[in-house]
Amino acid sequence: MLKGKVALVTGSSRGIGRAIALKLAEQGANVVVNFFRRRQAAEQTAKDIESLGVTAKVIKANVGDPEKVNEMFDIIASSFGQLDILINNAASGLPRSALDLDTKGWDWTMDINAKAFLLCTQRAVKLMEGRDGKIVTVSSLGSHLVLPGYTAIGVSKAALEALTRYLAIELAAKGICVNAVAASLVATEAGMLYARIAKEQLGESFAWQTTPAGRLVTPEDIANVVAFLCSEEAFMIRGQIIIVDGGTSLVPFGLMSKGGGCWTSNE
Amino acid sequence: MSAVEETIKDIVVKIVHCDREVLTPTATFKDMKADSLDMVQVLVALEDEFGIEIPDEDAQKFQSFGDFVAYMEARVAEKKK
Repeated sequence: MLKGKVALVTGSSRGIGRAIALKLAEQGANVVVNFFRRRQAAEQTAKDIESLGVTAKVIKANVGDPEKVNEMFDIIASSFGQLDILINNAASGLPRSALDLDTKGWDWTMDINAKAFLLCTQRAVKLMEGRDGKIVTVSSLGSHLVLPGYTAIGVSKAALEALTRYLAIELAAKGICVNAVAASLVATEAGMLYARIAKEQLGESFAWQTTPAGRLVTPEDIANVVAFLCSEEAFMIRGQIIIVDGGTSLVPFGLMSKGGGCWTSNE
Repeated sequence: MSAVEETIKDIVVKIVHCDREVLTPTATFKDMKADSLDMVQVLVALEDEFGIEIPDEDAQKFQSFGDFVAYMEARVAEKKK
Protein backbone atom coordinates (compact mmCIF):
# COMPACT_ATOMS: atom_id res chain seq x y z
CA MET A 1 0.00 0.00 0.00
CA LEU A 2 2.86 2.36 0.78
CA LYS A 3 5.28 0.76 -1.67
CA GLY A 4 7.91 3.21 -2.93
CA LYS A 5 6.97 5.85 -0.39
CA VAL A 6 9.42 7.39 2.05
CA ALA A 7 8.44 8.01 5.68
CA LEU A 8 10.27 9.88 8.42
CA VAL A 9 9.33 8.85 11.95
CA THR A 10 10.94 11.12 14.55
CA GLY A 11 11.92 9.42 17.78
CA SER A 12 11.59 5.91 16.37
CA SER A 13 14.33 4.03 18.20
CA ARG A 14 11.86 2.82 20.81
CA GLY A 15 8.27 2.74 22.00
CA ILE A 16 5.46 4.25 19.93
CA GLY A 17 7.81 5.60 17.24
CA ARG A 18 9.37 2.20 16.69
CA ALA A 19 5.94 0.55 16.37
CA ILE A 20 4.86 3.19 13.83
CA ALA A 21 8.10 2.79 11.84
CA LEU A 22 7.61 -0.98 11.68
CA LYS A 23 3.94 -0.68 10.72
CA LEU A 24 4.70 1.68 7.84
CA ALA A 25 7.58 -0.58 6.71
CA GLU A 26 5.22 -3.56 6.82
CA GLN A 27 3.04 -1.68 4.34
CA GLY A 28 5.99 -1.14 2.02
CA ALA A 29 7.36 2.28 2.97
CA ASN A 30 11.07 3.00 3.23
CA VAL A 31 11.65 4.52 6.64
CA VAL A 32 13.98 7.11 8.10
CA VAL A 33 14.56 6.19 11.74
CA ASN A 34 15.36 9.35 13.68
CA PHE A 35 16.77 9.08 17.18
CA PHE A 36 18.42 11.38 19.70
CA ARG A 37 19.99 9.34 22.51
CA ARG A 38 19.64 5.61 21.81
CA ARG A 39 21.88 4.61 18.90
CA GLN A 40 21.76 0.85 19.54
CA ALA A 41 17.99 0.80 19.80
CA ALA A 42 17.69 2.85 16.58
CA GLU A 43 20.03 0.47 14.72
CA GLN A 44 17.89 -2.45 15.93
CA THR A 45 14.71 -0.77 14.66
CA ALA A 46 16.42 -0.19 11.30
CA LYS A 47 17.48 -3.83 11.16
CA ASP A 48 13.94 -5.00 11.90
CA ILE A 49 12.61 -2.65 9.19
CA GLU A 50 15.07 -3.98 6.61
CA SER A 51 14.08 -7.55 7.39
CA LEU A 52 10.67 -6.56 5.97
CA GLY A 53 12.31 -5.95 2.58
CA VAL A 54 12.39 -2.13 2.58
CA THR A 55 15.13 0.43 3.13
CA ALA A 56 15.83 2.00 6.51
CA LYS A 57 18.09 4.94 7.24
CA VAL A 58 19.15 5.94 10.74
CA ILE A 59 19.65 9.67 11.40
CA LYS A 60 20.63 11.11 14.77
CA ALA A 61 19.10 14.52 15.49
CA ASN A 62 17.72 16.42 18.45
CA VAL A 63 14.53 17.70 16.80
CA GLY A 64 14.38 20.52 19.34
CA ASP A 65 17.47 22.03 17.70
CA PRO A 66 16.66 23.85 14.41
CA GLU A 67 20.18 23.29 13.07
CA LYS A 68 19.96 19.54 13.66
CA VAL A 69 16.52 19.40 12.02
CA ASN A 70 17.97 21.07 8.93
CA GLU A 71 20.90 18.65 8.84
CA MET A 72 18.49 15.71 9.09
CA PHE A 73 16.37 16.96 6.19
CA ASP A 74 19.47 17.67 4.10
CA ILE A 75 20.40 13.98 4.50
CA ILE A 76 16.85 12.86 3.62
CA ALA A 77 16.86 15.11 0.54
CA SER A 78 20.19 13.80 -0.71
CA SER A 79 19.45 10.14 0.13
CA PHE A 80 15.85 9.88 -1.09
CA GLY A 81 15.01 13.17 -2.85
CA GLN A 82 11.42 12.85 -1.62
CA LEU A 83 9.26 12.45 1.46
CA ASP A 84 5.70 11.13 1.50
CA ILE A 85 4.99 10.69 5.19
CA LEU A 86 6.11 12.68 8.23
CA ILE A 87 5.33 11.23 11.65
CA ASN A 88 6.08 13.78 14.33
CA ASN A 89 6.48 11.44 17.29
CA ALA A 90 9.61 12.47 19.23
CA ALA A 91 8.80 13.88 22.66
CA SER A 92 10.51 14.79 25.89
CA GLY A 93 9.78 16.62 29.10
CA LEU A 94 10.54 16.88 32.77
CA PRO A 95 7.79 15.74 35.12
CA ARG A 96 7.24 18.95 37.14
CA SER A 97 4.33 20.88 38.55
CA ALA A 98 3.75 24.40 37.20
CA LEU A 99 5.35 26.20 40.15
CA ASP A 100 8.49 24.04 39.96
CA LEU A 101 9.08 24.63 36.27
CA ASP A 102 12.07 26.72 35.20
CA THR A 103 12.60 28.27 31.78
CA LYS A 104 15.13 25.60 30.86
CA GLY A 105 12.64 22.76 31.39
CA TRP A 106 9.86 24.73 29.70
CA ASP A 107 11.93 25.59 26.61
CA TRP A 108 13.32 22.07 26.31
CA THR A 109 9.82 20.56 26.37
CA MET A 110 8.24 23.11 24.04
CA ASP A 111 11.16 22.91 21.57
CA ILE A 112 11.10 19.12 21.23
CA ASN A 113 7.35 18.56 21.50
CA ALA A 114 5.87 21.56 19.71
CA LYS A 115 8.43 23.65 17.81
CA ALA A 116 9.93 20.56 16.17
CA PHE A 117 6.56 19.81 14.58
CA LEU A 118 6.58 23.20 12.85
CA LEU A 119 10.24 22.97 11.80
CA CYS A 120 9.96 19.41 10.49
CA THR A 121 6.75 20.23 8.63
CA GLN A 122 8.31 23.30 6.96
CA ARG A 123 11.13 21.18 5.57
CA ALA A 124 8.94 18.13 4.85
CA VAL A 125 6.47 20.10 2.72
CA LYS A 126 9.20 20.94 0.20
CA LEU A 127 10.01 17.24 -0.21
CA MET A 128 6.28 16.38 -0.48
CA GLU A 129 5.66 18.65 -3.49
CA GLY A 130 3.14 16.89 -5.76
CA ARG A 131 3.25 13.67 -3.72
CA ASP A 132 -0.05 13.59 -1.70
CA GLY A 133 1.84 13.90 1.56
CA LYS A 134 0.59 12.68 4.93
CA ILE A 135 1.58 14.24 8.22
CA VAL A 136 0.59 12.71 11.55
CA THR A 137 1.67 13.94 14.95
CA VAL A 138 1.48 12.04 18.22
CA SER A 139 -0.24 13.84 21.09
CA SER A 140 -1.60 12.76 24.45
CA LEU A 141 -4.63 13.17 26.68
CA GLY A 142 -2.59 15.69 28.69
CA SER A 143 -3.33 18.31 26.02
CA HIS A 144 -6.78 18.80 27.56
CA LEU A 145 -6.82 16.76 30.79
CA VAL A 146 -4.81 17.82 33.84
CA LEU A 147 -2.33 15.07 34.71
CA PRO A 148 0.07 15.13 37.68
CA GLY A 149 3.49 16.65 36.92
CA TYR A 150 2.53 17.03 33.27
CA THR A 151 2.25 20.84 32.98
CA ALA A 152 4.89 21.62 30.37
CA ILE A 153 4.26 18.45 28.39
CA GLY A 154 0.49 18.98 28.45
CA VAL A 155 0.84 22.59 27.27
CA SER A 156 3.24 21.52 24.51
CA LYS A 157 0.74 18.88 23.37
CA ALA A 158 -2.04 21.51 23.34
CA ALA A 159 0.18 23.65 21.09
CA LEU A 160 0.83 20.62 18.92
CA GLU A 161 -2.88 19.95 18.50
CA ALA A 162 -3.65 23.59 17.66
CA LEU A 163 -0.83 23.54 15.12
CA THR A 164 -2.30 20.34 13.64
CA ARG A 165 -5.50 22.25 12.84
CA TYR A 166 -3.73 25.26 11.36
CA LEU A 167 -1.42 23.12 9.24
CA ALA A 168 -4.30 20.92 8.07
CA ILE A 169 -5.99 23.95 6.49
CA GLU A 170 -2.86 25.67 5.21
CA LEU A 171 -1.50 22.50 3.62
CA ALA A 172 -4.84 21.24 2.26
CA ALA A 173 -4.22 23.23 -0.92
CA LYS A 174 -0.98 21.29 -1.43
CA GLY A 175 -2.79 17.95 -1.14
CA ILE A 176 -1.24 17.20 2.23
CA CYS A 177 -3.35 15.63 5.02
CA VAL A 178 -2.43 16.62 8.58
CA ASN A 179 -3.86 14.89 11.65
CA ALA A 180 -2.95 13.84 15.18
CA VAL A 181 -3.36 10.74 17.31
CA ALA A 182 -3.71 11.32 21.06
CA ALA A 183 -2.93 8.43 23.35
CA SER A 184 -3.56 7.72 27.00
CA LEU A 185 -0.77 6.03 28.95
CA VAL A 186 1.05 3.58 26.71
CA ALA A 187 3.18 0.76 28.10
CA THR A 188 6.55 2.03 26.85
CA GLU A 189 9.74 2.84 28.76
CA ALA A 190 8.76 6.53 28.90
CA GLY A 191 5.13 5.70 29.73
CA MET A 192 6.07 3.49 32.66
CA LEU A 193 8.50 6.11 33.98
CA TYR A 194 5.66 8.63 33.98
CA ALA A 195 3.30 6.13 35.63
CA ARG A 196 5.77 5.62 38.46
CA ILE A 197 6.08 9.37 39.08
CA ALA A 198 2.31 9.92 38.92
CA LYS A 199 1.74 7.03 41.31
CA GLU A 200 4.17 8.58 43.81
CA GLN A 201 2.05 11.74 43.77
CA LEU A 202 -1.41 10.23 43.71
CA GLY A 203 -0.90 6.95 45.53
CA GLU A 204 -3.23 4.07 44.83
CA SER A 205 -5.89 6.35 43.35
CA PHE A 206 -3.79 6.56 40.19
CA ALA A 207 -5.27 3.60 38.38
CA TRP A 208 -3.20 3.19 35.28
CA GLN A 209 -3.06 -0.57 34.85
CA THR A 210 -6.02 -0.77 32.53
CA THR A 211 -8.65 1.13 30.50
CA PRO A 212 -12.40 0.59 30.14
CA ALA A 213 -11.46 -1.54 27.11
CA GLY A 214 -9.81 -4.00 29.49
CA ARG A 215 -6.10 -3.40 28.89
CA LEU A 216 -3.52 -0.67 28.44
CA VAL A 217 -3.01 0.97 25.05
CA THR A 218 -0.04 -0.56 23.22
CA PRO A 219 2.36 1.13 20.78
CA GLU A 220 0.80 -1.06 18.08
CA ASP A 221 -2.67 0.37 18.81
CA ILE A 222 -1.28 3.83 18.05
CA ALA A 223 0.63 2.59 15.00
CA ASN A 224 -2.54 1.08 13.50
CA VAL A 225 -4.39 4.40 13.65
CA VAL A 226 -1.37 6.32 12.35
CA ALA A 227 -1.14 3.92 9.41
CA PHE A 228 -4.84 4.45 8.66
CA LEU A 229 -4.32 8.23 8.68
CA CYS A 230 -1.49 7.70 6.17
CA SER A 231 -3.79 5.78 3.82
CA GLU A 232 -5.98 7.16 1.03
CA GLU A 233 -9.07 5.94 2.93
CA ALA A 234 -8.45 8.74 5.44
CA PHE A 235 -8.24 11.43 2.72
CA MET A 236 -11.18 13.46 4.03
CA ILE A 237 -10.02 13.49 7.66
CA ARG A 238 -8.26 16.82 8.18
CA GLY A 239 -6.87 18.48 11.28
CA GLN A 240 -8.47 15.97 13.65
CA ILE A 241 -7.19 14.64 16.94
CA ILE A 242 -8.04 10.93 17.03
CA ILE A 243 -8.10 9.70 20.63
CA VAL A 244 -6.81 6.16 21.20
CA ASP A 245 -7.33 5.47 24.89
CA GLY A 246 -9.66 2.51 25.32
CA GLY A 247 -12.26 4.96 26.64
CA THR A 248 -10.09 6.30 29.46
CA SER A 249 -10.84 9.99 28.86
CA LEU A 250 -14.59 9.38 29.22
CA VAL A 251 -14.30 7.97 32.74
CA PRO A 252 -13.48 9.86 35.97
CA PHE A 253 -10.06 8.81 37.26
CA GLY A 254 -11.14 7.27 40.56
CA LEU A 255 -13.48 4.87 38.83
CA MET A 256 -11.03 3.69 36.25
CA SER A 257 -9.44 0.91 38.23
CA LYS A 258 -12.58 -1.15 37.73
CA GLY A 259 -12.40 -0.57 34.00
CA GLY A 260 -15.88 -0.26 32.53
CA GLY A 261 -17.17 -2.71 35.13
CA CYS A 262 -19.31 -0.33 37.14
CA TRP A 263 -21.34 0.65 34.07
CA THR A 264 -21.98 -2.79 32.67
CA SER A 265 -25.01 -4.84 33.54
CA ASN A 266 -24.67 -7.72 35.95
CA GLU A 267 -26.19 -10.17 33.54
CA MET B 1 44.43 17.70 34.63
CA SER B 2 43.77 17.03 30.95
CA ALA B 3 42.33 19.55 28.52
CA VAL B 4 39.37 17.21 28.06
CA GLU B 5 38.65 17.26 31.80
CA GLU B 6 38.88 21.06 31.84
CA THR B 7 36.38 21.34 29.01
CA ILE B 8 34.00 18.90 30.70
CA LYS B 9 34.16 20.93 33.91
CA ASP B 10 33.50 24.18 32.02
CA ILE B 11 30.42 22.69 30.40
CA VAL B 12 29.07 21.01 33.55
CA VAL B 13 29.46 24.20 35.61
CA LYS B 14 27.73 26.24 32.91
CA ILE B 15 24.77 23.89 32.48
CA VAL B 16 24.27 22.43 35.98
CA HIS B 17 25.25 25.64 37.83
CA CYS B 18 27.24 23.66 40.43
CA ASP B 19 30.54 24.71 42.03
CA ARG B 20 33.65 23.61 40.16
CA GLU B 21 35.04 22.19 43.44
CA VAL B 22 32.22 19.64 43.55
CA LEU B 23 33.62 17.97 40.43
CA THR B 24 36.07 15.55 42.04
CA PRO B 25 36.76 12.08 40.57
CA THR B 26 34.52 10.41 43.17
CA ALA B 27 31.64 12.89 42.83
CA THR B 28 28.31 11.36 41.82
CA PHE B 29 25.70 13.08 39.68
CA LYS B 30 23.66 13.41 42.85
CA ASP B 31 26.51 15.46 44.40
CA MET B 32 26.27 17.84 41.44
CA LYS B 33 22.49 18.13 42.03
CA ALA B 34 22.00 17.52 38.32
CA ASP B 35 18.56 16.44 37.08
CA SER B 36 17.99 14.26 34.02
CA LEU B 37 17.58 17.27 31.74
CA ASP B 38 20.90 18.75 32.97
CA MET B 39 22.60 15.46 32.18
CA VAL B 40 21.22 15.24 28.65
CA GLN B 41 22.20 18.84 27.96
CA VAL B 42 25.73 18.21 29.23
CA LEU B 43 26.07 15.16 26.97
CA VAL B 44 24.74 17.06 23.97
CA ALA B 45 27.09 20.00 24.59
CA LEU B 46 30.05 17.62 24.87
CA GLU B 47 29.05 15.79 21.71
CA ASP B 48 29.04 19.09 19.80
CA GLU B 49 32.29 20.23 21.42
CA PHE B 50 34.27 17.07 20.67
CA GLY B 51 32.43 15.88 17.55
CA ILE B 52 31.74 12.45 19.03
CA GLU B 53 28.59 10.56 19.96
CA ILE B 54 27.83 9.57 23.56
CA PRO B 55 24.83 7.24 23.40
CA ASP B 56 22.66 6.76 26.49
CA GLU B 57 23.65 3.11 26.44
CA ASP B 58 27.16 4.29 27.43
CA ALA B 59 26.11 7.21 29.63
CA GLN B 60 24.02 4.95 31.86
CA LYS B 61 27.16 3.15 32.98
CA PHE B 62 28.91 6.14 34.55
CA GLN B 63 28.97 5.83 38.35
CA SER B 64 31.06 8.92 39.10
CA PHE B 65 32.49 12.06 37.55
CA GLY B 66 35.85 10.24 37.34
CA ASP B 67 34.29 7.42 35.25
CA PHE B 68 32.78 10.02 32.97
CA VAL B 69 36.09 11.87 32.46
CA ALA B 70 37.94 8.60 31.78
CA TYR B 71 35.33 7.60 29.21
CA MET B 72 35.52 10.98 27.48
CA GLU B 73 39.32 10.99 27.39
CA ALA B 74 39.33 7.55 25.81
CA ARG B 75 36.71 8.53 23.24
CA VAL B 76 38.48 11.78 22.30
CA ALA B 77 41.84 9.96 22.00
CA GLU B 78 40.18 7.31 19.81
CA LYS B 79 38.82 10.02 17.53
CA LYS B 80 42.25 11.66 17.07
CA LYS B 81 43.76 8.38 15.79
